[in-house]
Amino acid sequence: MKNNELLKDRIGIVSGGTRGIGRAIVKELVAAGAKIAFTYVKSDAEAKKLLQEIAAAGSEALSFKGDVRDYDTCRDFVEQVKAYFGGLDFLVNNAGITRDKAFMTMEKEDWKDVIDVNLTGCFNMARSCIVTFLKQKEGNIVNISSISGISGIARQVNYSASKAGIIGLTRALAQEVAPYNIRVNCIAPGFIETDMLGILKEELKDKFRRAVPLGRFGNPQDIAKTVLFLLSEQSNYITGQVIKVDGGLHTSN
Amino acid sequence: MAPSIKDEILEIVATVIEKEAGDISLDAHLVQEVGADSMMALEILAALEKKYHIVVPEERLKEMTTVNKIIQMVETARKRG
Ligand SMILES: NC(=O)c1ccc[n+]([C@@H]2O[C@H](COP(=O)([O-])OP(=O)(O)OC[C@H]3O[C@@H](n4cnc5c(N)ncnc54)[C@H](OP(=O)(O)O)[C@@H]3O)[C@@H](O)[C@H]2O)c1
Repeated sequence: MKNNELLKDRIGIVSGGTRGIGRAIVKELVAAGAKIAFTYVKSDAEAKKLLQEIAAAGSEALSFKGDVRDYDTCRDFVEQVKAYFGGLDFLVNNAGITRDKAFMTMEKEDWKDVIDVNLTGCFNMARSCIVTFLKQKEGNIVNISSISGISGIARQVNYSASKAGIIGLTRALAQEVAPYNIRVNCIAPGFIETDMLGILKEELKDKFRRAVPLGRFGNPQDIAKTVLFLLSEQSNYITGQVIKVDGGLHTSN
Repeated sequence: MAPSIKDEILEIVATVIEKEAGDISLDAHLVQEVGADSMMALEILAALEKKYHIVVPEERLKEMTTVNKIIQMVETARKRG
């Protein structure tokens, strides 16, 4: 099967599609033939630009400004997508934030914001889609976790906890909905060149880069291609898994 | 004579729950007395939506506690068109 037919006429949602990894995911899935609705919270100009790029390539997409922290917003969005495209086949939970700090200076808002967006956001979106998937006995969910959720990273206690939570959510949900032909997997990216990495100090970035066996940071497309694989028939027998896409960083655990 | 809507729905419920239609009384609580679970309720709902070309909001799942209540729900949904 050609790459541009892997998701032909499939309808899906990507949370956090305006920048970085989410943007690359949207573009990769559209190029594979899918119709995509994506969310964001503030980047109106980027959302518009992405829609224009997709339209120029002869495909169709939908954008939605809404916070994944809010359950009712997620439900509204999912209903709108189903009405607009006439169905729903998959969900990619990508929206995520960091509030890195030494633990002794981490405020409860830093904890709450990160858990609410990264972990509760996944729940809100998955819960809003699942009845549709169960009814049609078909569906696919890919969650974006992080190597930070597997091995833990200093100054990311809140973020590591949220990303480890996503792994637990993935594994439990995968077992529960497997009888209904719904797969749930998760990707743990290593260091990927996006705005999220851009806020780190140069010397820290150098240190991180030297630790990567493949000798470079990943790019958003590296993650997007793995998302496509997990959403396509190429991975039909894979569910409940955490796939590290990290240039070989954590080969020991 | 065509089967009544009551018989049709009873048959759908019985098939999903894997019981004989004759063994399910119309006012028996499907979870507490007949042994259904929430996933079965969802399968019943999906089958009803398909058969009667209706759309039932997810929120109404928890009202589907007996066959009689399900019949009522389907009739209301059909009137709404
Ligand atoms: N970059 C890395 O090295 C790395 C490594 C491991 C895992 N990850 C994970 O990969 C995912 C994407 O990261 P990224 O680097 O691409 O981040 P990014 O460049 O900062 O982009 C984040 C995206 O999420 C959206 N978003 C943020 N908060 C949201 C909310 N409350 N509701 C809805 N959308 C929201 C943003 O929308 P706006 O544009 O409107 O703000 C944006 O589109 C995240 O889950 C992140 O944790 C990244």
